[in-house]
Amino acid sequence: MLTAVITHRGENSVQVKLVGQSTGLVTPKIEAEEGQDMGPNPIAPEGKELLWGGLSFVVMAVAIRYFLFPKLKKGMDDRYAGIRADHESAEATTAAARGDVAEYEKALVAVRAEAAAKVDAARQTLDSERQAAINELNSRIAARRSEADAALSAAREANRSQITAAVSAVVTRATELSVGRAPDAAVVERAIADAMAGGSR
Amino acid sequence: MFALEFPPINEILRWREVAPSLNKVGLIAVAAALIAIVVFILATRQDHRKAPTGVRNFAETTVEFVENGIVMQTMGRDGLGWTPFLLSLFVFIYLCNAPGIIPILQMPATARMAIPAFLSILVWIIYNGAGIKHQGFGGYFKSVLFPPGVPKALYALVTPIEFISTIIVRPFSLMVRLFANMLAGHILLVTFALLSEALFQARDKVLVPFGVLPMFMLIFLTGFEVLVAFLQAYIFTILTAVYIGGAVHPEH
Repeated sequence: MLTAVITHRGENSVQVKLVGQSTGLVTPKIEAEEGQDMGPNPIAPEGKELLWGGLSFVVMAVAIRYFLFPKLKKGMDDRYAGIRADHESAEATTAAARGDVAEYEKALVAVRAEAAAKVDAARQTLDSERQAAINELNSRIAARRSEADAALSAAREANRSQITAAVSAVVTRATELSVGRAPDAAVVERAIADAMAGGSR
Repeated sequence: MFALEFPPINEILRWREVAPSLNKVGLIAVAAALIAIVVFILATRQDHRKAPTGVRNFAETTVEFVENGIVMQTMGRDGLGWTPFLLSLFVFIYLCNAPGIIPILQMPATARMAIPAFLSILVWIIYNGAGIKHQGFGGYFKSVLFPPGVPKALYALVTPIEFISTIIVRPFSLMVRLFANMLAGHILLVTFALLSEALFQARDKVLVPFGVLPMFMLIFLTGFEVLVAFLQAYIFTILTAVYIGGAVHPEH
């Protein structure tokens, strides 16, 4: 159950307070009593607040406008200009370095091309020298081989003559013993020659 | 069920007077101006050639935020001359908003009408003055009241609307937006603080643990007010930039 407590405050205001008997909350005490000043009007500006507020703002605004902001801003602008100059200088240095790198790379390409050309020339020289050596060696091998072939042919021919002579002697003797007379040497030789030619075939 | 007594709004805006002619709002405004001046003085004393650190870094970040986030977005390069004024506006409003979540102070100076009203009237004078200076008296009011491209028959409707919106409503909307947002935030914080206190001190001990719920809400809203303090300063400043830019360059 609530109890309404009505209090007059000043001439035209009334305060209504509902008090609960069950819980009885303790509320912040308002010290104002009847006829006592209840505080400023919540809407209307007070002259002293206008004066101090306005004066404070004007003093601050003037100080900032004419002294503090220009100095601060000048410092900021100087620093930004310095940073910008450093940045531009760094960009110029970077561009120069990039130019140097490009020149170096260009020189490097030329040197590499020259080196490649020299390596190619050396390789060609080596190839031609090797080819000449191989050719010379081949010709020497061919000469040796032809010499060996010639020696081999001579030896074979000598062997053949010896064999022919031996076979001819045997055939002539064998014919003399069987027939009683020696065969014609030319016939014997031709027959032996034909027989050896047939054997070698 | 509860007998939670919430104080009237004017009650939560009442503070002890520092002096007969200086109250807490005035003190916060003076402190805001002094803090801003001291921060910028300390920032300008540091060597500007080195990479900024500490106070100078903070000041330069704020300047760049106003230049790039407000001036360049609304007025373009031509508006950079307005940076000091907009910077002052942004910093001052933010420093007046921030005490809403600072212990002991716990009151945004902009939750009272005086500072938003002063700044709004100042902005009104400045953007109208800038418009008159750049376009001449007749040219400015012609561009405001008779926007180009509108059929002449519609001027009977458009001209009063433009007059009311540009000349009358703008300063009020600027003033009320800042004031109402900061006051609403302050009232929310007070509400949850009172609710927490009432529940924690309830005679019925069953209610005491429930005090953590509004307390968590209070913590969340305190964090939210950090964002609101910044956001309201930003909105006030960017709208000022838009109004000045529109007055100086109506073709945009």
